[in-house]
Amino acid sequence: MAETHQESGGAGGDFDLSQFYQIFFEEAGENLDLMEQMLLNLNLDTADDEELNGIFRCAHSVKGGAATFGFADVAELTHKMESLLDRLRRHEIQPNAAMVDVLLESADASRSLLARHQAGGEGEALPTSDLVRRIGELAVGVATPPVSAAPLPVAPPAVSAPGPAVEPLHIKDGSARSLEVRIGPLEHPEQADAIQELFRDIAGLGTVTVVPVDRKDMRIFAVETASSDEDLLDLFAFHVSREHIAIKALESTAPVPGKAEFGFFDNAAGAPATASSYADDPPPGAPLAPLPGFGFFDGSPGAPSQHAEVGATGAAANADAKVLPKGPAKVSPASAASQPEAATIRVAISKVDQLINLVGELVITQAMLAQNSRALDPAVYQQLLTGLADLDRNTRDLQESVMSIRMIPMSIVFSRFPRMLRDLAGKLGKKVDFVTQGEATELDKGLVEKITDPLTHLVRNSCDHGVELPAQRLAAGKPETGTITLSASHQGGSIVIEVRDDGRGLSREKILNKARERGIDVSDQMSDTEVWGLIFAPGFSTAEVVTDVSGRGVGMDVVKKNIAALNGTVEIDSAVGYGMKVSVRLPLTLAIMDGMSVGVGQEVYILPLSSVVESFQVKADAVSTVGQGSQLVKVRDEYMPVIELEKVFQVPRFNFEKSCDIMVVVEADGSRVALLVDELLGQQQVVVKNLESNYRKVPNVSGATILGDGKVALILDTGALVRRSRH
Amino acid sequence: MGMMEKLDELSASGAREYLTFRLDQEEYGIDILKVQEIRGYEPPTRVANAPGFIKGVVNLRGTIVPIVDMRLKFSCSQAEYNAFTVVIVLNLRSRIVGIVVDSVSDVMELPPDSLKAAPDIDSVIDSSAVLGLGSLGDRMLILLDIERLMSAPDMGLVSDAE
Repeated sequence: MAETHQESGGAGGDFDLSQFYQIFFEEAGENLDLMEQMLLNLNLDTADDEELNGIFRCAHSVKGGAATFGFADVAELTHKMESLLDRLRRHEIQPNAAMVDVLLESADASRSLLARHQAGGEGEALPTSDLVRRIGELAVGVATPPVSAAPLPVAPPAVSAPGPAVEPLHIKDGSARSLEVRIGPLEHPEQADAIQELFRDIAGLGTVTVVPVDRKDMRIFAVETASSDEDLLDLFAFHVSREHIAIKALESTAPVPGKAEFGFFDNAAGAPATASSYADDPPPGAPLAPLPGFGFFDGSPGAPSQHAEVGATGAAANADAKVLPKGPAKVSPASAASQPEAATIRVAISKVDQLINLVGELVITQAMLAQNSRALDPAVYQQLLTGLADLDRNTRDLQESVMSIRMIPMSIVFSRFPRMLRDLAGKLGKKVDFVTQGEATELDKGLVEKITDPLTHLVRNSCDHGVELPAQRLAAGKPETGTITLSASHQGGSIVIEVRDDGRGLSREKILNKARERGIDVSDQMSDTEVWGLIFAPGFSTAEVVTDVSGRGVGMDVVKKNIAALNGTVEIDSAVGYGMKVSVRLPLTLAIMDGMSVGVGQEVYILPLSSVVESFQVKADAVSTVGQGSQLVKVRDEYMPVIELEKVFQVPRFNFEKSCDIMVVVEADGSRVALLVDELLGQQQVVVKNLESNYRKVPNVSGATILGDGKVALILDTGALVRRSRH
Repeated sequence: MGMMEKLDELSASGAREYLTFRLDQEEYGIDILKVQEIRGYEPPTRVANAPGFIKGVVNLRGTIVPIVDMRLKFSCSQAEYNAFTVVIVLNLRSRIVGIVVDSVSDVMELPPDSLKAAPDIDSVIDSSAVLGLGSLGDRMLILLDIERLMSAPDMGLVSDAE
């Protein structure tokens, strides 16, 4: 380290910042996420200083970092955001929906710009000049109709006081002034030229003309503007440092009464009209529309349990802050969910994994010691045995704590949905409230990453297919605004994530018709569960119109496949007219699995317990052969193929008197096979290890684990075994 | 003298340290920097459909490591497993592999002038995996490019896709 410093010192202080890039990108991402969350929660009428300051701080941190690291495009955009937010927090202008929209879009744009820098600056940069211009206009008080996104409805109080909202600060000096701005001496005078662009980009700022100057390191501009010196300095400071700027009023020149002033009042007059048009005619697509009553519980299918109610209270409080025009006592959801000052440290995942590995080893060693000490005489070795008992307890606690490091709360996943739903509902012209429950439920980080996409799909589905258009809902006697509930809870050794909506529900009829159309064998006698299961078939979609949101029929089968790959299951519950509920059940972690160990010859294999259906001792007459000797076993009127593990794994057999007579029925991909084994050894939690990191892929084996005696046992890939039986 | 110059000099002189081990009557040498550790042999867990010289996988402090018996791979006359059987654990491009040998003899530094190019011979060892022959008095040392040897397709240690 010391060497590096010396070297960089010798090179003329050209300190290499690139080593901090990663930290900056992570922090900037977090800040943008946090800002987005706060913007979505922002109540336009009762926005308090704390909220606005929080949003401002986020933009400010990103700007600071971006400028330090030389990402000029990000810095420019966030600087604009910061200026707008600064005026908001100083109550010089009133927040409105257009601002929230443009800020959200800018956050997205910053994110994509950052991603481009992170990837080494390759590819086309997202153009931001339009955003910059819009923010600039909003900051000076010109309300422009947003370009694309559906605006939030502005509640009446915001309109009742449009005066302060549109009256720009810059006008407080009275009228346009003529100024001479001297910039320099500068090493790179080209920087100053960018100031001209400011005047071009920000409507209403005024006009600028270049005054010829004989010094190369100086720039002089003649500026006509209504803005104060301080505001100009703030703006210019982005391109050149303050100490190089000198602003002098040109008294001698007569102020030009025309352009600037005229333009201003013109805009100002137009602005309130625009704002009130929002209020009078709320766009139908606007989500989060305030409703007198909340139908959280009325509309959701299935009676909420007590646990759900506890979660819902929090969620309702959250929604209060979002929707109610005048929120009651400040129930700050942020304090519970995402405090930026949370005492956390960043640690590389590999370090945590190494720790988990070592603890796993420790547990095995401890188990070995415990086993060996069992034969000792307690009277003689009392101290040793007490010590071992302590060791047992401590290692178990240690393992638990270490495993919990990898666990992260579900709120990380949930937090991305409000924004997505807001945009989606706006696009579809629907009104949707989003409620989350059990955000604190913890899940393994690896699982969280893999569950996000399937969940996104389910939530989109609910919004697109489930929740009806406002008019349809009213006609059906339901509240205009639909509710999509996302909840997570622990149940035993697994986590259950539910996506629930109070929409139209699944139609048996439609699904059966569609299935027949697609040539799937169905009958009217099928149970509801079986019918709902059909929507997981590849290429199945009941949407009447294919939209860009859903309806292409890729999706539910992928969702099911992805979840099955995580050893999870999906269940659907639905009632026509009342909505539908999709429950995803997942193991808590990928690193640990409930396994059933079976013995074949001298060897031990592990079966994932989640795929084991039953086991039984087989009678010779229950097995029949077909054709080339493939065996079938009859289990309660059902024939299923038999797979002899002994043959599949070429297990050497020394004791020929003993033979396999136990069958374990496993299910995967919807089919069942019976595995023939010697004996059942028991059920245990096993730590899943990757076999491929040092070796190649082994057919029919999904991984390996280490048994209590330190030996390696292979974990069977039941999916592959089932597929094998089909060919 | 900078680090790079030192490295250059080292590679120019070619003086390297080699771990030598015995397979039957033959003596082999491999780059010491590829060796992670040396440990006793413990019966591995057999893996189905693997070639005979892959004895299976063992648990090396939480990592699953395949074990290759070099004596079977090089068609030695006998391959016994007893208390003196040794496993050399190699770290090759972030993959860990254990090889079973009869015994580990020594670590020695070989000056480049004691290295002779191996003549073309018909052998079970791919000639491209033999770096050369080292002479130490009357003993002959076969220097192996162990990384090339282990990643060869016929070792069956890596998936075909890789």
